[in-house]
Amino acid sequence: MAAVLLIGSVMKFAIALFSAAHAPSSRRALLFAQAALAGGHEIVRLFFYQDGVYNACASVVTPQDEQDLPQQWRAFVSDNRLDGVVCIAAALRRGVLNEEEAQRYQRSAASVEAPWALSGLGQLHDAIQDADRLICFGGA
Amino acid sequence: MSTLHVLSQSPFGDNRLASCLRVLGNQDALLLCGDATYALQPGSPPFEVLQAAGVNLFVLAEDLQARALDTPDWAEAIDYSGFVELSIEHDKVNTWL
Repeated sequence: MAAVLLIGSVMKFAIALFSAAHAPSSRRALLFAQAALAGGHEIVRLFFYQDGVYNACASVVTPQDEQDLPQQWRAFVSDNRLDGVVCIAAALRRGVLNEEEAQRYQRSAASVEAPWALSGLGQLHDAIQDADRLICFGGA
Repeated sequence: MSTLHVLSQSPFGDNRLASCLRVLGNQDALLLCGDATYALQPGSPPFEVLQAAGVNLFVLAEDLQARALDTPDWAEAIDYSGFVELSIEHDKVNTWL
């Protein structure tokens, strides 16, 4: 793999995902991200926005005969030590909370844990500035 | 400045394809994935529009295969590494969310 890489050809990607874990576009985003790393490129940040926050939700239960996208994303982000950011505003309004937010708003359920971080939309802006390419996935 | 346009919605459900073709520049390319690959159903209106448009057309092979459709000779089927390369070859990627 390394032999085919030319100097300067490593691209920095920012990937934004707008769809829930059960949407086909969420799987496409994961396969694109895997292919980007396999091609020797860098992912500066994965940003999960709108319904995309459900991909970071640990309480999602996927039917046994379907792709478990939340689990696959978790493994992908952990194994490759990527920066997986979940939009905090989108997450709160969907009841997708980490321990800190669950305590802050006195809710009984926290469903976001490492490797995910809840943070603001500024993190997407920052990633776009840092990356060579922004690729968005969402919808169908 | 070139743009890779990515469509994933079925062309039979909305006007994204027509809107996309209207803004598509000479240097641009169009990638069909997901249900957007139904545009390659032979004989359908979107198929004929695309054939006549003469755009740089790419399609995600596995999504086409999942729908039992063939790649016409005026389109190119690619895998995910091809998708990554396309996104690099173009200056911007515009996903029609």
